[in-house]
Amino acid sequence: MTADKEKRRAISREAARKRRRVESEVFEDLSRLLPLQQSVRDHLDKPSVIRLTLSYIRMHTLLTGKTASKSQASHKVKCGQTTEGQLVRHELNGGRGEEEEKVTDDADASEEINMYLRILEGFLMVLSSEGDMIYLSGNVSKYMGLTQAELMGHNIFEFSHPCDHEEIRNNLRVTAEEVWSGEKRDFVMRIKSALTHRGRSPNLKSATWKVLHCQGRAKVCVAPSSVSCLLLTCQPLPLSHTLLSKHTFTSQHSMDMRFTYCDQRMTLLLGYSTEELLGRSIYDLCHTLDTNCLTKNHFNLCIKSQSVSGRYRMLVRGGGYVWVESHSAVIPSVRSSKSRSGANQPLCILCVTYVLSGVEEPSLQLSLDQTIHRYPS
Amino acid sequence: MSARNAAAGGGDRVGGELADVLVEDKQSDSVSLPSPMTPASAAGMSLSMEMPRKRKGSVDNQDTKSASMDMDIEDLEERHNGSDGEDQHVKMKCFREPHSQIEKRRRDKMNNLIDKLSAMIPTCNPMSRKLDKLTVLRMAVQHLKSLKGSASSFSEANYKPSFLPNEDLKHLILKAADGFLFVVGCDRGKIVFVSESVTKILNYSRAELIGQSLFDYIHPKDMGKVKEQLSASELYPRERLIDAKTGLQVQADLPVGAARLCTGARRSFFCRMKINKICVKVEEKEFQASTSKKKESQKYCTVHCTGYMRSWPTSQLGAEGEGDADKQDSSHFSCLVAVGRVHSHSTAQVNGEVRVKPTEFITRYAMDGKFTFVDQRATTILGYLPQELLGTSCYEYFHQDDLPHLADRHRKVLRSKEKIETNCYKFKTKSGSFVTLQSQWFSFVNPWTKEVEYLVSTNTVISYDNSRTCRSGSKSEQSSNSKTSEDGKKSLPVIPGISTTTGAMIYAGSIGTQIANELLDSNRMNSSPSSGSVSPFSLSQDKCPHNQISNNVPNGEATDMEIAGKSSSEEDAQGATFSGAESLMGENPQMDLDSVVGPGLGSLSSDEAAMAVIMSLLETDTNLGDAVDFEEMHWSL
Repeated sequence: MTADKEKRRAISREAARKRRRVESEVFEDLSRLLPLQQSVRDHLDKPSVIRLTLSYIRMHTLLTGKTASKSQASHKVKCGQTTEGQLVRHELNGGRGEEEEKVTDDADASEEINMYLRILEGFLMVLSSEGDMIYLSGNVSKYMGLTQAELMGHNIFEFSHPCDHEEIRNNLRVTAEEVWSGEKRDFVMRIKSALTHRGRSPNLKSATWKVLHCQGRAKVCVAPSSVSCLLLTCQPLPLSHTLLSKHTFTSQHSMDMRFTYCDQRMTLLLGYSTEELLGRSIYDLCHTLDTNCLTKNHFNLCIKSQSVSGRYRMLVRGGGYVWVESHSAVIPSVRSSKSRSGANQPLCILCVTYVLSGVEEPSLQLSLDQTIHRYPS
Repeated sequence: MSARNAAAGGGDRVGGELADVLVEDKQSDSVSLPSPMTPASAAGMSLSMEMPRKRKGSVDNQDTKSASMDMDIEDLEERHNGSDGEDQHVKMKCFREPHSQIEKRRRDKMNNLIDKLSAMIPTCNPMSRKLDKLTVLRMAVQHLKSLKGSASSFSEANYKPSFLPNEDLKHLILKAADGFLFVVGCDRGKIVFVSESVTKILNYSRAELIGQSLFDYIHPKDMGKVKEQLSASELYPRERLIDAKTGLQVQADLPVGAARLCTGARRSFFCRMKINKICVKVEEKEFQASTSKKKESQKYCTVHCTGYMRSWPTSQLGAEGEGDADKQDSSHFSCLVAVGRVHSHSTAQVNGEVRVKPTEFITRYAMDGKFTFVDQRATTILGYLPQELLGTSCYEYFHQDDLPHLADRHRKVLRSKEKIETNCYKFKTKSGSFVTLQSQWFSFVNPWTKEVEYLVSTNTVISYDNSRTCRSGSKSEQSSNSKTSEDGKKSLPVIPGISTTTGAMIYAGSIGTQIANELLDSNRMNSSPSSGSVSPFSLSQDKCPHNQISNNVPNGEATDMEIAGKSSSEEDAQGATFSGAESLMGENPQMDLDSVVGPGLGSLSSDEAAMAVIMSLLETDTNLGDAVDFEEMHWSL
């Protein structure tokens, strides 16, 4: 290399360094303006800074923009101030003076948030119409293993299972009528999780799929600019249930939804004995109008391995029906003597069914099974 | 052109044209900046890069990218270290191409982000020309400063900010969850607190609810359930847990009283809560009217309540405490803190009301056409109670003119994945008259096994109370279908493909059974393609009007038919043609299946011979109302 070239090289390098320095400074300024903890801030790379800035701006717009919903009155929220919030604290704290509260305002609110999120057992996600995760609540790290700062601003399609993309896209679409009615959303999707049994895995190559039940609504702001997004709470579908009610029962099915086991509560609640049910398909036991609901549930199960059905009706043995909701998962069916590993393990479906109502129309016999007198057993 | 933007920590490196400049820049970057390849940025990078590998069916190029991305990192590290092995050389060669593509992608991503940013900043928007990166960033800084306004500075050391102001977050959560937070005392169910959002859901104002008992607002049938959830009584069953691995129940042997009330014990249940019917702003008289609770008009919605038990020391609560009523611990106020959510599919449940039109009802048939499910609306339309129809074959009620068409539809729906519409047809009601229906059938296929489980029929009433039936005379306006499918044999409904043997002669039940068997047989046949015997029901033959069928009726069907025979004979058989046949069956219950259906047919080797048999049968049976002498129709193998 000639000296001339080298000199030019050096100059350009210097210029580049200077540019980068200036740029870095601006980036630092920007990051300082973001509501982040210092430790988080230190580890941000430039694209993340921009992503988080975008999120901040978008959320601000969302929260202060005018919505198109009918019941507008209670929804207008100014950043940082709601009377409702104060009332809440007032109640919970047994009516302490308001002056006192202002000092501990934020701490209380924060505790409340934690309470909500803990109760909901999930995290909040705000999705833009293109699928950008504009906002994620802080506890997302508990479920996905990645922190809020790492994830916010990224696109959901980068993190969700490709087979679910279509469904997600369908949910993101907000039609014209929905603008006015604040349509609800309820779907199941699989998302990457960097959590292992031992906690967060540093190696993202071992990411697993986590099934999330997302519920929420579409929110549309018409002013200052038209923006639509989805507000969702995302809850992982728990694989172990704590049953506290007499009005729930469990059942196991083969993959085609034929019963292989059901607990005694089913007999108590619905009247079928276990022997009667083994080998029967669940589709026989439900009201025909709900076939779609069950089919969708079944599909979700087969594809995503976990699902929540909506409400559907199960026919009661002696007549009539009850409204129920099932939370199901595909699990390996256990043989006591065999080992756990292996992809060829037979699968079965485990359902936890909540009975929602009493027996409706008990004298009505709608299906063959209910005509108990017709066929002597 | 030198690298424009080597991001801090290398998260988004933009490549320069000259490879060595690139290397140098990167080297200098990684030395000078305090945060090289940080976990966050590495995560950021690898997130979008590495994980695609894990996906099944992921797009190929993504895999390539991820592979090359990894290589990229290693590649650079190698260079950085100055090693110069042959491997590296090879690597460099291999990945020079995708490498620049990667760099380009990074650049594009950064540019994309900058564009998005400029779109969001009001001051950037009016600019007609595209702004350069630095300017956009500077404007962003300004914008953020203006947004923050009077809010406290974020860089205080002890400030633990959440990204959103807590109020807003709370609001968002409640909006997304479409629920309301509530706190009820365990003992009497007194509502201590409820959030504002309850108004949207239950239409009661907060003021109305606070201080009231929760049980006043719960469906009477669910009160026991809710009591159980709130209660700490020892009489209640122990917690049942489901072990995810085994799917079996595990009894948790916890000391009941303490465990149930310990802070953090979770609760999850569904209950129906009352919805206040009136809007809050309406005048008083309406309000008063609604307070006189008529149960049948009271609407409920199903609320999924999840939460946990919490114990508040009464000292903190002042007036809210319920020291007197607490059984457990007088210094603690036990309550349930929960969020009630209305699921998106639960609309206000009104008893007995179904959203579908009143002149519609739904039935389910087994594959052979027997009713296995009848919607309660059928009663008002058809006059039968569901139990009267259940187990009987639908063909027994179809007017004979419609049989061929409906049989054809039946056959079709078993083979099709779509909804099949029938033409209008007549269905015999309990009183003997016919209603004209039009139905939409589809075969419900088990998603897993892909087998047909049953047929679902949505039936719409076209008109009621048609002309009294008379087989020969009836010419209702809608029965033109019967003409089209036959070749001039109007008086004898020939149903294509159905062997009209013996006393079965259009025995209604058998039609369905035979159609179902066709399907089973064709499935069997299709699975053994080498079978040379007649496979009458490959689809192409459907159109042929006179098909042979093989009558391998499995024994299982026998019972059904006999029973159907019995049941139908119990029914009021008036007027319509088939009742004759049915009562015949009823009179001869001992007749076994083989003689009825004709076992010989299946074994006949030639189509023509079988056809001849059928034709002869048809000819002999000119009057369906008369008794048929079964002794003549005796088939032997």
